[in-house]
Amino acid sequence: MTVHISGKVFGVELADELRGIVREPTALFFSIVMPVAFFALFVSLFGKFSDGGLSSGTTMIATFGAFGVISVVLMNPGIGVAADRERGWLRAKQVSAVPIGVTLAAKVVAALPYAAGVLIAMTATAAVTGALNAPLPALLRVLGVLVVGALPFALLSLAVGFQVGAGAAAAVLNAILIPSAVVSGQWMPLDMMPAFFRDVAQFLPTYHLSELARAQLTGGPVLTHVLVLLGTAIVAAALAAVSYRHARS
Amino acid sequence: METVLEVRGARHDYGATRALDGVDLDVGAGECVALLGPNGAGKTTLVNQVIGLLPAKAGSVRVRGGDPRVAATRRHLGVVQQSLGFPTTLKVSELVTGAAVRAGRPRAAAGPVMAELDLTDLAGRRAAKLSGGQKQRLQLAMALVGDPLLLVLDEPTAGLDVPARKRFWQILAERRERGTGVLLTTHIIEESSAVADRVVVLDRGRVLAEGTPDELVARLPDRTVIARTALGLERLQALPGVVSLRNDGEHVRLGTRSPEALLRVLLAEDPGLTGLRVEGAGLEEAVAGLIERGAA
Repeated sequence: MTVHISGKVFGVELADELRGIVREPTALFFSIVMPVAFFALFVSLFGKFSDGGLSSGTTMIATFGAFGVISVVLMNPGIGVAADRERGWLRAKQVSAVPIGVTLAAKVVAALPYAAGVLIAMTATAAVTGALNAPLPALLRVLGVLVVGALPFALLSLAVGFQVGAGAAAAVLNAILIPSAVVSGQWMPLDMMPAFFRDVAQFLPTYHLSELARAQLTGGPVLTHVLVLLGTAIVAAALAAVSYRHARS
Repeated sequence: METVLEVRGARHDYGATRALDGVDLDVGAGECVALLGPNGAGKTTLVNQVIGLLPAKAGSVRVRGGDPRVAATRRHLGVVQQSLGFPTTLKVSELVTGAAVRAGRPRAAAGPVMAELDLTDLAGRRAAKLSGGQKQRLQLAMALVGDPLLLVLDEPTAGLDVPARKRFWQILAERRERGTGVLLTTHIIEESSAVADRVVVLDRGRVLAEGTPDELVARLPDRTVIARTALGLERLQALPGVVSLRNDGEHVRLGTRSPEALLRVLLAEDPGLTGLRVEGAGLEEAVAGLIERGAA
């Protein structure tokens, strides 16, 4: 009975979130269009170069794809929860009979189809430009890894959303997103960047997500990347929990 | 009468400031209890404990025997906030249906409640585009659709016109007959006087007085001096024996324990005084008087 009701409640929460995205898609439109447009530019310029037996266009689905997915899951739940908090809607949810975790999970899950959409759009772009040379199972693994691996970033997004207003959340999250994407080699390969960037990248979960995705194509080692992302998820969950507990009303 | 809300020795501190200091409060099934007090009295803190937003640092808060911090207990609660901004993307029917499902009720429960609150014609409209009064009705619909045992109303009629207020209290009266308890906070004290079975006066985190509105009024020998005067509010407040002051636009209402002495000073300072009359204190004057005595 409890499970049945929880499933129905989650369905209602998710439906509300998806309605929010479909009926006011502006923010998500930009968080999809921008990474895909950048990807199209880079893949048309460098996509056919060789990168360890694969085309650059293919490996860019892992690296640029990581940027695209993080862009969606980092921006949307946090800005959404900040807006809900500002208008008193989060408080209304907190005093309802729904555990707040269900509400927040719905916010995160609602962003995932759009994250998958970013990846599908990038894959299609790479295919159209003739820069795609990986088998479908490998591409599906990349998609799965990126979508699941985006969870810590969604939690970080919520942590920010509990503390600042919607406008400030967008600014703060962008300030996290763009530099970490550049330093992690998600826009341009780290080999083309100063050595300092490579040293810093090892400490960034964004780097480990794109490398984990790349490993699905190259067969490289994954353990370190998985452990870093797991650790990041734990830290981000703790941050989100503390931030929620001290959320500004 | 079954107790739906039981607060015992509730305490809460914000740093070094004690916001609640051993508050006891009961609300029975079908009973309406108004929580009154000045700003900073602890009303909001107490309400936040009742609706599960704050833990009691000491003491206990129980809604039908359960802890309101637990989601399952909150199924028995309906909450109407003073001002709530609805998501810009959701429609009235979606919000009421969602509230029903969240409270463990069937989706079909939304229809009758929307009809009861005259929201059926607005079902397809985005909630954020409703007028203030319509939004309050929507909030009440969302609170009632779960068939709560306890309704917590925070300034529920702020911004409503007189007919809308009347309708609001009429709907609540029907619910109370069916056993729903009501905990009300409001600054419209006449409203408390009209709808509440009991009034609890809070000041500095403690229960200062409790009783029916008539009992509280009878507790004070205060009178209200009503007049049209050219004297400024600051001067009126400083007159000897004034314990409360309200300006209703045309008249001023001065609560006092010694009307004769006040009248002498008033007439001396404003010989042009008109519309003078003296009445027994109302609930507002009684509450003000109780708070002043509590502070003394």
